[in-house]
Amino acid sequence: MDAVLALALKDLRLLLRDRVGFFFTFFFPILYASFFGMIFSGQAGQRSAIRIHVVDHDATPESRRFVERLAAGDRLECAMVENEAAANDAVRRGRVAACLVLPRGFGARYAHPFARGLPEIELRIDPSRAAESGMLQGLLAGALFGSVQDLMTDPNALGAMVDQSLAELDQAGSQVDPLISGALRAFLPALRAFVERMPRGAGGGLAGAMEPKITITPIERQRFGPRNAYEISFPQGIVWGMLGCAAGFGIALVQERTRGTLMRLRISPVSPYQILAGKALACFLTTVLVAGLLLGFGYVVFGVRPGSWPLLSVAVLCAAVAFVGIMQLLSVLGRTEQAAGGIGWAILTVMAMLGGGMVPLFFMPTWMQQIGSISPVKWVVYALEGAIWRGFSPAEMLLPCGVLVAIGVVTFAIGVRAFSWSDAR
Amino acid sequence: MLAFHNVRKAFRATVAVDGLSLEVRRGEVLGLLGPNGAGKTTSVNLAVGLLAPDQGRVEFAGGSPQQAAVRRRMGVAPQSLAIYDELTGEENVQFFARMHGLRGAPLRQRSAQAIALVGLDDRRRQRAGTYSGGMKRRLNLAAAIAHEPELLILDEPTAGVDPQSRNAIFENIVALRARGVTVIYTTHYMEEAERLCDRVAIVDRGRLLALDTVRGLVAAHGGHSRLHAVTERGEHTIEADDPVAELNRLQASERLLRFELERPSLEAVFLNLTGRTLRD
Ligand SMILES: Nc1ncnc2c1ncn2[C@@H]1O[C@H](COP(=O)(O)OP(=O)(O)OP(=O)(O)O)[C@@H](O)[C@H]1O
Ligand SMILES: [Mg+2]
Repeated sequence: MDAVLALALKDLRLLLRDRVGFFFTFFFPILYASFFGMIFSGQAGQRSAIRIHVVDHDATPESRRFVERLAAGDRLECAMVENEAAANDAVRRGRVAACLVLPRGFGARYAHPFARGLPEIELRIDPSRAAESGMLQGLLAGALFGSVQDLMTDPNALGAMVDQSLAELDQAGSQVDPLISGALRAFLPALRAFVERMPRGAGGGLAGAMEPKITITPIERQRFGPRNAYEISFPQGIVWGMLGCAAGFGIALVQERTRGTLMRLRISPVSPYQILAGKALACFLTTVLVAGLLLGFGYVVFGVRPGSWPLLSVAVLCAAVAFVGIMQLLSVLGRTEQAAGGIGWAILTVMAMLGGGMVPLFFMPTWMQQIGSISPVKWVVYALEGAIWRGFSPAEMLLPCGVLVAIGVVTFAIGVRAFSWSDAR
Repeated sequence: MLAFHNVRKAFRATVAVDGLSLEVRRGEVLGLLGPNGAGKTTSVNLAVGLLAPDQGRVEFAGGSPQQAAVRRRMGVAPQSLAIYDELTGEENVQFFARMHGLRGAPLRQRSAQAIALVGLDDRRRQRAGTYSGGMKRRLNLAAAIAHEPELLILDEPTAGVDPQSRNAIFENIVALRARGVTVIYTTHYMEEAERLCDRVAIVDRGRLLALDTVRGLVAAHGGHSRLHAVTERGEHTIEADDPVAELNRLQASERLLRFELERPSLEAVFLNLTGRTLRD
């Protein structure tokens, strides 16, 4: 065992000293995962704010307060524009979801909803954006009623409004329908008296009385998709790192033979199995290390939050077993490093293509996903995703992990049997 | 201590080693001298258990070199350099010493001694990839001796080496022999064999043609010595088994001005044995 460990440590040291190998093993997968994660994030537009343009013809402090209220929170991103035509154009081109027009006089009505009725606004929206339209209407209604809410929760403001309304009623005189003016003259002083008796200060006003009593019981929604694009791109990055390990150590094994060090190792009193076990151990450790590094990076930088760490560990270990076997098989494909490297990468690239290492499997048609089952890469991705966001149970993990271990054992056995120890051509 | 008993090894149609029988004695430096393709490296590979003979057997210290425990007592510096360019000289030597079972303080100590012996002390912390050809050869040797083998097998240890490194390697071998190490040394340079080896085995086309001390080989197969003498009467070139007798005979009749004696070399031995020169 000590000899195996020494052999593996030697290989790790060689890898660390080889700058190109080191880059492709550790940095390339991180770049890959980050890059594609970013690209997919842009496309998915997951839970980002709805962008709208606002044309404010009123331009009063009240109208500005309305827009502020609308933009509060992270659901809407409001950009003020002067030019109505340009705003319409932005909607037509799909650059913003909608254009909101506040007419002249909006502010006055907004401030005095009881005296003058709720203000009118116009929302211009692409009819195909139904979901966003619904959400926008909800947000607008909320902001519009905000002024009413303000009044109800502030006795002083409510009192002032009642006084102003009474004064306006007096001014208007006979212009107002006597029936309505009579009713208002009865209602408003009564409201005034009520308001005067309302408690002042925090929690006062009608707010306490109006606050709805809602008990919130959280029920976690079943997730059937990745939380973010990085949960797709990081399993892929891990696969590329593992492919790199398999290719790298496969070539290193061929190199030992062509450089004569394999012969020297065989002359020493270690057994052939120890020599191969050393290489396998180095490949296994590096593979696990690459996966760990990527997951750590994804966790810290991109918020990848695996659903189950224990299952993820199992998935990584099984994937490493598979790739150790593949490494051993690659090492018998070519006599020279160049041949082994060329043939090896060709095979690995096809594996990656079929197995969803390049284009995520769920983007592919079903028949292609089925063909992908012959590729170990598919099972690696499947197992990793199962633990990260598919929410697999241990029983569900059994299939991909079992397939991976089987692939590893079979390819390793074939690779060891076919391995040629002499450098005879 | 190492014996070949009628060993034969063929690669398809090529018979690389053909009925080889020889015994290496403890403490000697045995040269395996032969032209390219004579079967030297194949013999070495048989000796260290990398190849199994088709016929006959190889014996070392009462066992077969195909057993790991037996191999532990051997050291080999392969003809093709077998070191890791990315590791430093020291790391190379320590790694192979560890493969031979050394650990801890003895590992470090003996590795350092081996490196010092081949004169790479000042470069030991640098990567082998930065070494010159001669330095790599010396490192190749150091990696074979750190575990202090009883039998050291050197396959063309001076191939592609500058005269300085070559002399250093010769001195190393002399020093190792002085410690009682048995050495097998393959080469196709007869000067090396003449200078270093206690006995020389001449091989060609997989066969052992002769095995003896250099003196014995020359006496048996070298043919006549050649005497060039200049006397008052003129020049004489005489081929003779006993040049001293010829010299005395000449001097009795004429006054000798000067003479030169050309003794037969291993080159002549090889020529007489095979009808070809070593470098054919
Ligand atoms: N693995 C092999 N496969 C086929 N033929 C081989 C193999 N190894 C050696 N031979 C053949 O066996 C013969 C002896 O080769 P060997 O390497 O033992 O010679 P050598 O004396 O070491 O030569 P050199 O001085 O060039 O190193 C050669 O004809 C060679 O072509
Ligand atoms: Mg040779």
